[in-house]
Amino acid sequence: MKRLTFLLFFLIGLNPVFPLQSDSRDACISCHITVDEDLDDGDKIMPHFYDDVHYEKGLSCADCHGGDPTAFDDEDAAMTDSDSFLGEVTRDMEPEVCGKCHSDPSYMRQYTAHVKTDQVEQYWTSMHGMRLKEGNDKVAVCTDCHGLHGIRAVSDTRSQVSDFNVPGTCSRCHSDAEYMAEFKIPTDQFAKYKTSVHGKALLERRDSAAPACNDCHGNHGAQPPNIAHISDICGTCHVNNMNLFQNSHIAEIFSKRQLGQCAGCHNYHDIAKPTDEFISWSDKSICRRCHKDNENAKELATGLYNIINNLKMQNSVAIDKVENAEQRGMEVSDLQYELEDVHQTLIQTRTAIHSFNTEYVQKVADKGFKAAEAAITGADNAITELLFRRKGLFVASLIISFLVIVVYLQIRSYEDKD
Amino acid sequence: MNNLMAWLEERFNISAATKFAAKKKVPVFYGTVWYYLGGVSLFLFIIQVFTGILLILYYRPGATTAFESVKFIITKVQFGWLIREIHSWSANLFIFFLFAHMFSVFFSKAYRKPRELTWYSGMFLLFMALGFGFSGYLLPWNELSYFATKVGTDIAGAVPGIGEFVLRLLRAGDDVSGATLSRFYGIHVAILPAIFTLILGLHLVMIQVQGMSVPPEQENLPAEKKKYMPFFPNFAMRDFLIWLIVLNVIALLAVFFPWDLGIKADPLSPAPAGIRPEWYFMFMFQTLKLIPAHVLFIEGELLGILAFAFGGIVWFLVPLLDRKAHQGKRSKFWTFFGIALIVYMIVLTIWGYLV
Repeated sequence: MKRLTFLLFFLIGLNPVFPLQSDSRDACISCHITVDEDLDDGDKIMPHFYDDVHYEKGLSCADCHGGDPTAFDDEDAAMTDSDSFLGEVTRDMEPEVCGKCHSDPSYMRQYTAHVKTDQVEQYWTSMHGMRLKEGNDKVAVCTDCHGLHGIRAVSDTRSQVSDFNVPGTCSRCHSDAEYMAEFKIPTDQFAKYKTSVHGKALLERRDSAAPACNDCHGNHGAQPPNIAHISDICGTCHVNNMNLFQNSHIAEIFSKRQLGQCAGCHNYHDIAKPTDEFISWSDKSICRRCHKDNENAKELATGLYNIINNLKMQNSVAIDKVENAEQRGMEVSDLQYELEDVHQTLIQTRTAIHSFNTEYVQKVADKGFKAAEAAITGADNAITELLFRRKGLFVASLIISFLVIVVYLQIRSYEDKD
Repeated sequence: MNNLMAWLEERFNISAATKFAAKKKVPVFYGTVWYYLGGVSLFLFIIQVFTGILLILYYRPGATTAFESVKFIITKVQFGWLIREIHSWSANLFIFFLFAHMFSVFFSKAYRKPRELTWYSGMFLLFMALGFGFSGYLLPWNELSYFATKVGTDIAGAVPGIGEFVLRLLRAGDDVSGATLSRFYGIHVAILPAIFTLILGLHLVMIQVQGMSVPPEQENLPAEKKKYMPFFPNFAMRDFLIWLIVLNVIALLAVFFPWDLGIKADPLSPAPAGIRPEWYFMFMFQTLKLIPAHVLFIEGELLGILAFAFGGIVWFLVPLLDRKAHQGKRSKFWTFFGIALIVYMIVLTIWGYLV
């Protein structure tokens, strides 16, 4: 029985749930463990706090709420009698309470050499921060995004603000039409984002390189992008597209007419995967949304579309020929490099479209045409070589068959003599 | 011509050899066809030597040069593709015909007294041919051969006692690397050919001295019922005719079924799916895959290796173990053993390719 009791205590000691009972890091925790016992599960503080990154790093209640954590068994000395005691941190207090540490580079450096300490400063420039200053505490404060007593490191995939969770976190408020009514902004952003090329990449393919809300709007300084500078925001990732667009003759026109640069053609939030038909003069044309029957626009769009389409067709011919040679047993690995060049050039040509300059796009595409030509010629040569081998085999087989007949007749003549 | 023969006769007494050759006879009966298998194997070995020498001219061993040099041979060197294809195809046919030759010898009981040493030398040649195959498989340094060599040497390393030593000896280090490639190249083009040629010479001399063996039931026939044909020119011409047909088959295979060079080996990449050894090792590979991880107190892989080692020794020592064969009788046990072995090898090989 003694052994069984010992084993039970040993297992309890190993159980991650039970250490709470014996945690006496400071007076606040040792007391709140007892307080928690009388609360419903949802209201308990300590179970969440044990998962908190601050707790992991050795911080405790008093580091945010103030008080005297050394005053064991004396509730008044621990809380109300202490000069530093803040009690409940209200929403308007949060930025400064969190910023006490997070805005102090010399303090934060102990946790990581590259820590950012401008979150609070940025926050006050954000739409959230500005409204909070005006006295509207419905806007997001630190704990709305990062969580309350169970705050996890941003790099922790379980964090509310980890790459994959950001859209869901923002949408908790921004998709709630009733909650957002007084701000008079749309609430369909998340619904649109989910259908976008970015949303699908991040949420369906789990590609952490895909942008979430904060990558375009900013994190702590979240603001809607300035319509005149959208290409700078998109250009953070799509650098070449941005440079080409900003140097094109169209950029100025877009700017004057407040057309939203990239968003003017690609939309925002519901950015669809672009297709080559966007620049065709068909029903799927994006250009025709504004240009209708403008002949100059038609000529430009059709010219650009034809370059891409011709390169695609040439690529398709090259792939078919190389595959045919490969399937017939010829060594074509060098030709695969040419095909890879064509593929790369096709991507570069699609990017070059943003210059809206037919000559420039043709110049970029020419490299792909040359590579496709090299692949086609190489594949044709491989097939010619294959036919040569088969002819050679035929001739060799004829000679060998002749020899076989001669030898056979020779054998017959020997054996007839015998 | 006559002057040349006289010149040679004066110096080397070649008439002794020609008289011996003229007297040499080959038994004619239902099993005469099996006699050609040894000759075909010899022909394929000669092709291996000639094409191998040509490949050496361009092949460059080394982790950064081997794959590129083979690619160069098959794409840039005039008829390089043909030489490589013939080398690869004749290597595979060589192993096939060696197995066929071995089983024909086994079932005709040709290993019985006085030809025990011929059997032993033949078994050594087969083991070395498998060594040629194993070492040659790595030389193109492609992904499949690299990982198959890794698995193959791992299996060798599992042998108790000497495994670790054998593993390091084969790999020239802890892992399959450029050093392994150099070592395999040396084994493939120098060590094995030298020893193989020596033993092959002995094997041929023994056959010439002792003549062709016939099965017990043929041997026991009365003299008047036994038929023969002269080795020269009748049998030699038939040999030549079959060699020509085999050559044509190799040319056909080389043109219509070329060997894929694959992707260059990358030791840092994960092992690809579908790693498999050459077909002649497949039955062993598949057996090792089927044995459970542990059988009683022995590790499954070790049990498999010990079983193959035991089976190999029994097969090698069959001239000592088959006592009935020495009395000119067929042992039902050994006949069944041989048939079971062939069935087992074929079934496991097919299974290995289907899974």
